Amino acid sequence: MNLRTPTIDHIRLISLYWSRYAVRSGSGLVYLLIALVFGLFVAYILITPVEQLIARQERELGQMNPEVIRNTIVDIGQPIIQWVLGQKSLKEIMQQAAARQRPPTNDSDKTGITVPPQQNDAGLDPWTRFLLERRPALLSAIFLVLLFGMPFIISFLAYNQVSGDIQSHGLRYLLLRTERSNIYFGRFLGTVIFSTAVMAIIVATIVFYLGIKTRIYPAPALAGWAVHGFLALAILMVPYIAVCSLISALVDSPFLSLILAKVVIAGVLVAAILGSVAWRPAKYLLYTLPWAWQCNLLHPAPARCLGAALACLLYAAVFLMLGYYCFERRDL
Amino acid sequence: MTEGKRPGGLTALAVINFVFSGWGFIGLLSLVAFFAFIGKIPTENMQETQKEQFEAFQNAGLPVFIFIFALSIITNVLLLVSGIGYLKQKKFLGRMVGNTYAVIAIVSAIVSAMMWPREVGGSFNLATILGLIYPIVTLILVNTTFREDLTN
Repeated sequence: MNLRTPTIDHIRLISLYWSRYAVRSGSGLVYLLIALVFGLFVAYILITPVEQLIARQERELGQMNPEVIRNTIVDIGQPIIQWVLGQKSLKEIMQQAAARQRPPTNDSDKTGITVPPQQNDAGLDPWTRFLLERRPALLSAIFLVLLFGMPFIISFLAYNQVSGDIQSHGLRYLLLRTERSNIYFGRFLGTVIFSTAVMAIIVATIVFYLGIKTRIYPAPALAGWAVHGFLALAILMVPYIAVCSLISALVDSPFLSLILAKVVIAGVLVAAILGSVAWRPAKYLLYTLPWAWQCNLLHPAPARCLGAALACLLYAAVFLMLGYYCFERRDL
Repeated sequence: MTEGKRPGGLTALAVINFVFSGWGFIGLLSLVAFFAFIGKIPTENMQETQKEQFEAFQNAGLPVFIFIFALSIITNVLLLVSGIGYLKQKKFLGRMVGNTYAVIAIVSAIVSAMMWPREVGGSFNLATILGLIYPIVTLILVNTTFREDLTN
């Protein structure tokens, strides 16, 4: 057998062990807690105003009208989602908000809830309309925030795939029994498995709560969109984990690996946003990581959605192979 | 089994215990200060929602406050003690006290959700679930992943 040939059984064994070992080593535990708290806190921030609205409506009208609640969510969420998707600039949104200042309708006199007239939706682009009207809008908003927030957190889990063992020279004992490629790819897969499991817990908790407590969306719509959102989040994490694998293979200090992973993942976004103010082409820096197009994972067109998922896997493959190239040749 | 060789996760769990315990004690102090002054805050010029929240706090009553205060003190002390137990890998201080903390914290979160008025964040909501995360994670880890490490 060629020493550099990956063995499926070894990779499976190492990945399963690594996904279980993640909590024991501390990094998985810290990631689990941060991800759960972040995910549920985002949901809490977005769902609480809606719950207050429902409570107010029940108190004043004696019952909840899901249609009015959904319309209010669409009305509030529309400018935010258009801005996040890059459909409109902040200036345009401010102008739109100023133009929409109007006297309250009869409904809002009674409940304090503004029902958006149909003509407001006329200018909606298909993507925003899909996220807000054809899918549960509240869940769409939560997924959008998680898509942008989770990449910052993933490095807490993935920073120490091999760097700690390189530092302690512990890998030398493992290399008596298996090859470098099995260790590298096995640990990457183990991290992906753990990250996917955490995403599943977060999405399931939020959707279960939305379905049981608020009851403003039908269960099949919630479940279908939840599966899509979960897959989007799980696939999006793969290239970011691969970036961490690359950094972990280059550096022999876990702490430095964590700092570098944070700097690279957040730095690309910050450098592109701030850099584009001074020099417009700097915005293309976003394409070095999935930042620029990751919203396409929630696009209504299946082709664009699948394209984004494939691009995620392609990015992951490039970073992973780069990392493997370095790991295969470095001194352990 | 693993005396002297503490897993990183157990150290992380202990550190998180100390942090949460510290936050908990600071939170208790602010809760006491809030209840000491709540009757003296004028509500005439407040918005309707704020006024409702203040009145809900004022109407909650002293027994509810004392009960929640006592539960919080107990959970924070247990957090601190079990944190020390995790570091020393003790069976009683770590595993037993950790389990006791988790059970009391779960009961405390559910009881608090039922006792506080809805206007001030009571009733079962996502905040309740957020409060349940750490006790449930503790309960699972202490009895599975770190079970064999807490034997001294």
